[in-house]
Amino acid sequence: MNFTRTIEALGTMPSFNTDATLQSAASFEQLALPLLPSLYSHAFWLSRNHAEAEDLVQETISKSLRAFDTFEPGTNFKAWAFRILRNTFLTSRTGIAATNTIFLEDHPELIETTDAGLTPEDHLLSLSDQAAVHDALDKLQAPLREVLLLCDVEELKYKEIAMVLNVPIGTVMSRISRARRALHQLLQPQLRKSL
Amino acid sequence: MTPTTSPDTHLPSQQLHAFIDGELSSSDTQAVQQHLESCHSCGLRVISAMQLKAATARAAQRFTASPETLARLTAYLHTQSTEQKQPTPIRPRTFHMLPVWSAIAAMIVLTASFVFWNQNHQTNTLTAELLDQHLATLSSGAAPQVISTDRHTVKPWFQGRLPFSFNLPEPGALPPDTTLQGADLVYLKNRPAALLLFTIHKHQVSVFLTQKSELFTLNPKTTHSGFNVHSATTPELNLTAVSDVNPAELDALVASLVKVQ
Repeated sequence: MNFTRTIEALGTMPSFNTDATLQSAASFEQLALPLLPSLYSHAFWLSRNHAEAEDLVQETISKSLRAFDTFEPGTNFKAWAFRILRNTFLTSRTGIAATNTIFLEDHPELIETTDAGLTPEDHLLSLSDQAAVHDALDKLQAPLREVLLLCDVEELKYKEIAMVLNVPIGTVMSRISRARRALHQLLQPQLRKSL
Repeated sequence: MTPTTSPDTHLPSQQLHAFIDGELSSSDTQAVQQHLESCHSCGLRVISAMQLKAATARAAQRFTASPETLARLTAYLHTQSTEQKQPTPIRPRTFHMLPVWSAIAAMIVLTASFVFWNQNHQTNTLTAELLDQHLATLSSGAAPQVISTDRHTVKPWFQGRLPFSFNLPEPGALPPDTTLQGADLVYLKNRPAALLLFTIHKHQVSVFLTQKSELFTLNPKTTHSGFNVHSATTPELNLTAVSDVNPAELDALVASLVKVQ
């Protein structure tokens, strides 16, 4: 699936009314409708603003519909739509500001092979406090949080996440590993409190 | 990915996470499972990572669209699709009725989508909550409040603690190599539930019994993060079993419990 081509094609798509378009618009609506809650939730995590999240989803709907004939049937529509949502966010004012924040990119050599220094019992967390988990998620670096949301909440496969984020699959794997370790570390005080 | 499965070497983090995310090939998965059988430390790491995954999924659902927002987005989607679909050359004679039909169609779509969203959201949250409770029983090391293989001990313990009652089958009526291990009182969606703990061979099974409600109605058979979640209802109860045991054996346990209600 060539997302880049799809995104670049946006804005240059001709408008036309043919039988194929009629069918295409109907199936687009069918595919997009169940995704609205997920798209909104993800848009909110990206923008942290309800009004902006709603605008992002609306813009994503418009762009996706115009580019729908480039969507390959049989591939994951959700990943395709999330990719468009993400690109829409990145070109928004909030998104541009966010990308100015430098993220220490994934350096495999810096990634521990195991969580050295932790005893097995340290790994067991009391996660009953939802607010604590939510706060920890909130404190994660944006790229780490984003990969976790796509994996754990949206249940996308690594390959699909790689497409959404436009990064190699190895980067997805290392980010997920780092994200969970960071989340675990942020929850350590919570664990100590519960002991 | 080539797994590191030597008994002396712990699983690398990336491999462990790929395992719980179901991203390893079947041969790699098997190799990791073999390693886990002999490595207590990695076993705990896997359980902890699964707990964290389930907790993340639940916590992240906090930012959901309000019904009003969802209604606006649904209407927007419908309008956009309709505009794309609208044939331009021929205008029907009943053009003046178009806004009415569009409004009716939009209302139907809105209602259907909200009902779908609401059901789907509730189902996902409940499944995550059940899985979280099951993982807690696997990992906490804390004994359940009732440790007994005797149904005559387990069932009376719940009297006065639950607003409903249930029956337990005779040991002989349980499927082969299935044993009641104990029970606990838990809360699901802020309502009390009986948690019955069974083992099938060496697999732990958590069975949740709640008073019958739409809140606890799940698909009969689903999988979540590699665990089987099987659900059934009786006239009075919702019953859900969570385990990594094979689906047929989990089904047999659920059927034996349903039979005695």
